[in-house]
Order: sequence, then C-alpha cells, then structure tokens
Amino acid sequence: MESNELEEEEFGFSRNYFLAKELGGSSKKSARKASDINLVDEQELREAYAKLEFKHEKEINNLVNSYRKSYAEWVFMLRCGFGLLMYGFGSKKGLIEDFASTALTDYSVVVINGYLQSINLKQVTVALAELLMEQLKTQRKLENYLKNQQPFHTQSMDDLISFLDGPHWDDGESFVCVVVNNIDGPALRDSESQQYLARLAACSHTLMVASTDHVNAPLLWNKKMVHTEFNWYWYHVPTYAPYKVEGIFFPPILAHSGSAQTVKTASIVLQSLTPNAQNVFKVVADHQLANPDGEGMPLNNLYTVCRERFLVSSQITLNAHLTEFKDHELVKTRRNSDGEDCLYIPLSSDALQKLIHEISQ
Amino acid sequence: MAPSADPETSPSISTTNTDLQPFFLLHKASSRKPSSKTRRRIDLSPKASDASAQEYNDNSRFETFKLLWSNTEFIIKDVLKNLNTTVFDGIDKWVHASFDAIHACRTPDFTTATSMYPIPNNVPIGAQIFTALLFTKNVESVDDISTFDDLGAHLRSSGCLVANLTSIDFSAKNGVGGCLKTLLRQFLLAGIDAPEMSILASWYNEQENYDKPLIVIIDDVERCSSSVLNDFILMLSACLYLSVCEFNLGTPAERMDAVIEAVLLRSFQSVNIGKHVSTFLRNYFLRHDGTLTLFVKALRIATAQQGLDGENNLLREPAMKRALELPSLQRFCETRGNCIDWVSALSELKRLHQLWSSLVMCLYEVGRYHKISLLDLYCEMLKLKLQNFGANDLNLVEKDYTTSVHDNQSPGCLQDKGYVVRAFQMLRDLSAMELCKILDRWEMLTRGIEEIHEKVKELQSQITLEVKQSRHDLRKESKRPAARTYKNDKTNNSTINEKVASFLQSMFREYIQSIESIPLQEIIFFDNVDNLNTALIGDPRRRIQADLLESRKLLKCSCCSKNDGVLVPSMHDTSIMYTLVQEHGDLINVHEWFHSFMAVISNPPLKAKKKLRMSPSPKKRKDSKEARTKTDASIQAVTELQITGLLRMPTKRRPDYVQRVAFGL
Repeated sequence: MESNELEEEEFGFSRNYFLAKELGGSSKKSARKASDINLVDEQELREAYAKLEFKHEKEINNLVNSYRKSYAEWVFMLRCGFGLLMYGFGSKKGLIEDFASTALTDYSVVVINGYLQSINLKQVTVALAELLMEQLKTQRKLENYLKNQQPFHTQSMDDLISFLDGPHWDDGESFVCVVVNNIDGPALRDSESQQYLARLAACSHTLMVASTDHVNAPLLWNKKMVHTEFNWYWYHVPTYAPYKVEGIFFPPILAHSGSAQTVKTASIVLQSLTPNAQNVFKVVADHQLANPDGEGMPLNNLYTVCRERFLVSSQITLNAHLTEFKDHELVKTRRNSDGEDCLYIPLSSDALQKLIHEISQ
Repeated sequence: MAPSADPETSPSISTTNTDLQPFFLLHKASSRKPSSKTRRRIDLSPKASDASAQEYNDNSRFETFKLLWSNTEFIIKDVLKNLNTTVFDGIDKWVHASFDAIHACRTPDFTTATSMYPIPNNVPIGAQIFTALLFTKNVESVDDISTFDDLGAHLRSSGCLVANLTSIDFSAKNGVGGCLKTLLRQFLLAGIDAPEMSILASWYNEQENYDKPLIVIIDDVERCSSSVLNDFILMLSACLYLSVCEFNLGTPAERMDAVIEAVLLRSFQSVNIGKHVSTFLRNYFLRHDGTLTLFVKALRIATAQQGLDGENNLLREPAMKRALELPSLQRFCETRGNCIDWVSALSELKRLHQLWSSLVMCLYEVGRYHKISLLDLYCEMLKLKLQNFGANDLNLVEKDYTTSVHDNQSPGCLQDKGYVVRAFQMLRDLSAMELCKILDRWEMLTRGIEEIHEKVKELQSQITLEVKQSRHDLRKESKRPAARTYKNDKTNNSTINEKVASFLQSMFREYIQSIESIPLQEIIFFDNVDNLNTALIGDPRRRIQADLLESRKLLKCSCCSKNDGVLVPSMHDTSIMYTLVQEHGDLINVHEWFHSFMAVISNPPLKAKKKLRMSPSPKKRKDSKEARTKTDASIQAVTELQITGLLRMPTKRRPDYVQRVAFGL
C-alpha cells in the first residue's frame, strides 16, 4: 500500500513536469515583454512597499502567537542537544528573535542576519568566545585557563572553536546561543561558511536556532553536518509574515531598470558589502565628484587606482565587485568618445556626496 | 519581535539598526544560573508557583532524557567499538610489525634522523611508507566518524603516537601547510605558526617519543584534494612508494543489527520503538538513507519526544494519572481483579520484554543462516499477532505479512514470505550439526530467563543424545544400500528438526504476547511516526509549496475560507501569485502573469465587493494610487517567491520569463 502511494507520488512528479513542459511548448510563447508593464522606480517601490498594508495582519499575528506555546518544547529540544531549524513560508525573523528574547534569557544570544551580503564568521566566533568567557568568569570556572590566554581576536578559528568546544568546566549548563536568520542566505551559501557554522553548532558550549526559507536549503549540508554537527530538529512554522528586510537585497524583477538610484537604497546595499568593495565604490565616486561633467571613470584607470591603494589584487576581484555594483544598479557603464568603457554612478553630485557621507560613518 | 523593532517610528524602508548588522548581541545571559537556581527551588518547594512547577517539570523531563539517552548512547558506542575490535587488533599487529621492520634497518645516527623522516638511508624499506587501507563499506562517511576516533584511541593505548586527520585538512585552499599544521597541533599539542617538518622530526627524537610508531590516520581519503595529499606523502618520504595493506570493516547492515540487539533487545533502560516507527525507520534505512547515523539520531529524537510527553516519568503525578488511563494497563488490571498494582505491572512489563527479546534473538540465530537481518525480523515481530500462533497457523501469519509489513517492490524485501515464517522453515532444513550449534547459542541467549533456559537445556541434552544415537545408527547401517541410508538419515534428521521447531513454536505460543497486550507498552514503545518524521527529515520543498497553495487553511481567516479553490483578492498575495504559477508551463511570461495577478486582486467576487462598500473606509483612494499599491504587492510577492527559491528569475537570454522550479507537491 505504501509503495503504491510512493509510486503515485513519483508518477505525480513526472506527470506534472511533463504537463508543464507541454504547456510551455504547445501554447505559443507569449511575446509580451516584461518591460511593457507600467513600472515604478525601485526607490518609489521600496517606499511604497514599506507603507503597504498587509493582508491578514490579525490572522498572521494569531498564527505567530500560537507558536508561543511551543517555546517550552523548543527550549527542551535545544537542551537535549538538537539544533532547531525553522522552516515554512513567511519571515521567521520576528518569531525566532521573540523566542530567543523570551525563552532563552538564561543564555547569551547572538543573532546572525544571514540575508545580508557579507558576514564575517570569524568576528561572530570571536564575539561568541568573549561572551562565553565572560559567562564562565562570573562563575569562576576558568582560573587555570586564563593564565596563558591570548586575546580572542588574535586567535585562529580552530583555537576559537576548540575554546567553545572546550572541556566541561561546569555541569554542562554554560551556553551561548547562536540565532541565524536565513542560514541559507546569500552570504552563507558557500560550503566553507556552512562548514564553520556546522562546527560552531557542534561545540559543547553553543546552541543553535536557525531559519531557512529556500526550498532547496537541505542541499547545503552533507549527512555529517545534518545529523551530527547541526543535529537539526526540524520545525514547520509558517508565519506568512512579510519578508521585509530579507527581500531588500534581491534585485527586484519588476522595477524599472533605468530608474535613478537614491541615496537610501544605495547606502543600504553598500553597507552590506565588504569594506574593500565600499572603498572601490568610493574611488569611482571621488572621480565622479572631481569631474562632474565627465563621462565617468575609465575601467583601466579604476583598476590602476585600486591596485595602488591595495583594494584589489587582480582584475578578477575588481570585476567581482563591479558585477555586484551593476546588479544593484549602483554603477553603470557607457562608452566615452575614445571608445573606452567608463563607469558612472547614476546619482546627482549632491546625492552622491550624501551617500559617501552616509557610508563613511 | 526584536526589542529594537518599532514599526511606528521606523523610516520609509522599515529596517532597524540591528537588521542591517551582519550580527548583533540580542541579550546577555541573565545573572541567575539556570541549574543552580532550579535545584534550589526543587529543594524548597516544587510547587510554590506555576512558574516554578513548570520549571520543575522541565528539569525532571530533561533529567529523564539525560538518563535514558546517556545510557543508550553508551550502549551504542560500546557496541560499535566492540564490533571493530578484531579489525583494530589486526591493524595494531600490522603497525608493530611494520615498525619493527623499519627499526631493523635504521641507523642510530642523529644527523640522518633529523634530516628526513622516516629515515631513508638508502635501504628500500626505509623509503617506504607503511600504509593500511581501511575499507569502511559504509554508504556515507558519517557512519565512520567514531570509528576513526576509536581506532586512534585503540592505537594510542598500545603505545603509538597518533594524529587523526580528515579530508577537510587536505583542502586545496590551505594546501600542504594546513595539514602539516593540524598534524603538529595533534602531535605536539600546541599551535605552531610556521609549521615545518623539522619541528616534527626534532620532537620525535625526544626521549619519550623515540621508540614509538608514528601513525597518521586520514579519514575519508577519497575527498582529499589529490595534489595536497600527494605533497603530503612526498613530504613524509623522499620516495613515493606506499607499502599497502588492506583491512575491512563491517557493513552498515551488520552494525545496524548489532545496535538493535544491544539497544532495543538487550537493554531495558534505553529507548524502545514501536511497530510503526520501526517499520518507518527500516524502510528509510533501506530505501533512502542507508546510514546508521540517521537511525541513532532517530532514537535520540524518540527519547526526547518521549521525555517531552513525560509519560515515562511515572514519579510525576500528572503523568501517573494519565498512565492510569492507558488501555494496556487497564487490560492488565482487569486480569488481576481490577486493582492497580504498579510494581507488578512494571515487573510484568520487564519480564515480558525480556522474554520477547530473547525469543526474537533465538529466532534471529536461525535466520542468520539465510541472511535474514535482525532489523527485518524485529519489525515483523513487533507487528505479529500471536494469540493463536501454532503449527497450523504459520500460513495465516504468512498471509498477513506478505501484504502489510513488506511490500514486495521495495529493494529490501524481495521475498514474498514473512521473515518469521522463513526462519521457522529454515529451522526444519538445518543439518544436525547446525542445529546443535543453534542450541548452544540459545542456551547462551536465554541465560537468566528461568522460564526458557531450563527448557532449552533439556532440549539441548535430548537433541545431543538423539544426534549421537542417529550417528551410531548410521554407522551400523553403513553396510546397507546407499539410497536407503540416505532416506533414513533424512527422516531421522527431520524428526529432530521438527522437535526443535515445535519447541520454539511452543515457546512463542506461551511467552510471546503481541506488543499491544503488554502492560504500559504505550510508555515504553515510542510509536509516534508523524512527529518523528517531521522532526527528523523535514520537507521544505513540499511544505513550503503547501503553505502557499493552502494558505487559507493555516491562516484560518474568515474571508478566504468560504471560497474554497477560487482565487479571491483577500488571499495572501504571494499565495495568489504562486497559485497562478500552477496554471503555466515551465516558463512563465512575466507580463501575463502580472496581469492575471492584477485581474485577481481587482475583481473581488460579489460578496466581497459588497463588504468593501459597506466597510467604513476613512477616505477613498484614487484609482491610480490603488493600482500602484497593487503593483507593489505583486512585486513583493515575486520577491518572496524568489526567497523561497520556487522561481528562477529572468536571465539575459530570456528577459521576459521566469522559470518554475517545482512541479507538484
């Protein structure tokens, strides 16, 4: 009986796939263009979006509140050595931060925002180690350990992890908790980050609560990570809450591509980039401010300046930064009279100055 | 919500400071220490207030879990370690033999000792790296993480210096320096900034290390970066000649059976699983996962969920009350004149469990001859209805089991007969020698269980006698025609086999009850397969789609639930958008999609329209503004679908189309 179900399920999959293919093939592909839609500027969109009234606000609140009665169970599972993995449609940022601030008061909690573009896990680990150290100090369990102690930020990742995984000085109740919003987020999608997160989660003094939104998130992990390091305990907690911050960094599909950037969106994107990328952007900005009527900064010039300032080591790294800028429409290219590719920022001088000021803070 | 989030005062893009920080400290641990605090409270008055009662409950649950799980985990570790002992001993012998070989051709000269390791000295044997390849036969390397740790510990205990490296240490990114660093870290027990081979050589020449073999264990060698591994081997020896020796570990199925035997059958103080859960795990093991690790994790989840239900902690009053209502206990009490006797119920439970387990083991001993795994047998035994189990009922059992437990199509169950039935049949086909061996094993397995042990011993002596007798007869009759002798021999044997088989059957009839009739079985056998499944595997692909397509069910709103199956404007935007996707092929024209979305949200059904008019809206918005809002909603919905990964965004090649990723739930 069970196999029949299974078979049917598999059949269902393939049938659906081919039906879909057929639909795509037989009906004449529509030639209508996405750009035909009367679109708005990204900036206007974001502003409007922030004011957008969300449907079912009451029901969403009820749904999210209904999870509160599970908090005790979640804490119990954490104490049993599992990592909690929350999935289901809707932003779970509010939910798990609420859980952490009401039910995990006995532990220090560090939140990682995985939806941002750049996250330095070393810094996170240093912060965790410092918190644990502080906790253990108050409990006076570290007297021997403290003697030959280097400051944490000079230690290697391996040392930090072995400190967090250290011997049990106590009865096993000194924990720091890591909350990861969108563990499948863009900056954490590489295998190295996931390996580090897994090793962090496996430490004897850490607890981990994470949320995931992507349907293919499990592909990030191998069996060792899933079952022994993260030791996930899956919870299906759809919230239907809007993905407010999580969505900011996705280049919008329906926004006008030609529209002007504004300071606010640009600064949000820039702040999420690495300091080096920010500095590369500043080089272009400085050039544009110095030559307000010019056609932009030639690509070769940019490369030379960036190399001189040790911002990039090769053309490839520079291109990586530029792709990022172009994706978010921070920078555009045009040909100058000599036929060179020039980079310019689609902002007025005032706006640009304001932007530089904002990101330099 | 995050404490700093304040939607009222947030700027146009409603983000708070912490939202844009890669990471931030939410709060520090409260100064009270959880464990000491709870202990104090327990000492004073466990029910002083609701909160402390809750805390008391939580802690006692946790203690139950800790006790049960540490016990189970210990048993599993022990069993796996013992399973590998023979192989480990073999490796240990090989290590010492190889080391002696190196020693025999080595000159005690310090300069050569520091110049290179192991000392080549122009003797071929010195230029060899003695290498053992350990074949693990697992499906995934995850099953063997502890194996290599155990091997390290085993070799250390026999006087070797051991470093455990894994494939992560041999990554192309860190190069050979990375693995040398780990190596030094493990041998010298200190972090070294500038790793060099000479450090290792001079450390090795210290007095206390000099006469010990150095062992480098590399786990999961297939995943190492080959060039780094190559460099590493070059660094260890000037010559690339590996003297290879092979060892083999057991298969996952063997380990699984050993774990089932130790945890589920032999131990009374560990978690136990019921028929549904065991069948689920068996099928998952055979069809999907193939690792023992998942099984062990499932046991851990089962233990935790059992602890959470709290029914197995009978010392607590609410749990006790609930336990009193358990049907199994009530049935048990009815047979005993309706008085609830905890002690006798518990001891009966223990007795029946022991009897049950030992008989399963006895049957497994027979099944082994036909490679029936304990996992299969265990699952089937849990499902067996044995009230009328007898010689003639074998066929009945057979019928039952061809259809329910084992579906024939699955890879694990090619047989169309139940495992129990097959094991019994096998018992009838075994030779006299094999039968005697089995009886010896039974004698060992039933030790400590008075009811069966005596009878087994009796049978054993009887059978041994009969076997001797038949051999004697055989010799006597050897002069007679061959065909007759053979026939005689066969009948003799079959009567002995029949005796043993009917003995085991009578034992089954007498002592094995179906699991449902064991008192308190609900507490002992964890059987909530749905809970286990969701916690263990999760299913984001299906669940997230279901969330979107059936949003009304989960949101329980009054506005959308009435119009079942029809798109209404009040539905969640992303939900409408994704439902519309279902109508398209694998490519979706963004323009059309967008317009069908607009059509849905601008054309409310009549009822909703009325409501809209009646509702006291403060001011009427302008049409254009409304349209703008709708566009914004659709764009947000697409972004949300992008976050869930259900759509592939337009590319340069097809700028006007998005692509579907998932087809069907």
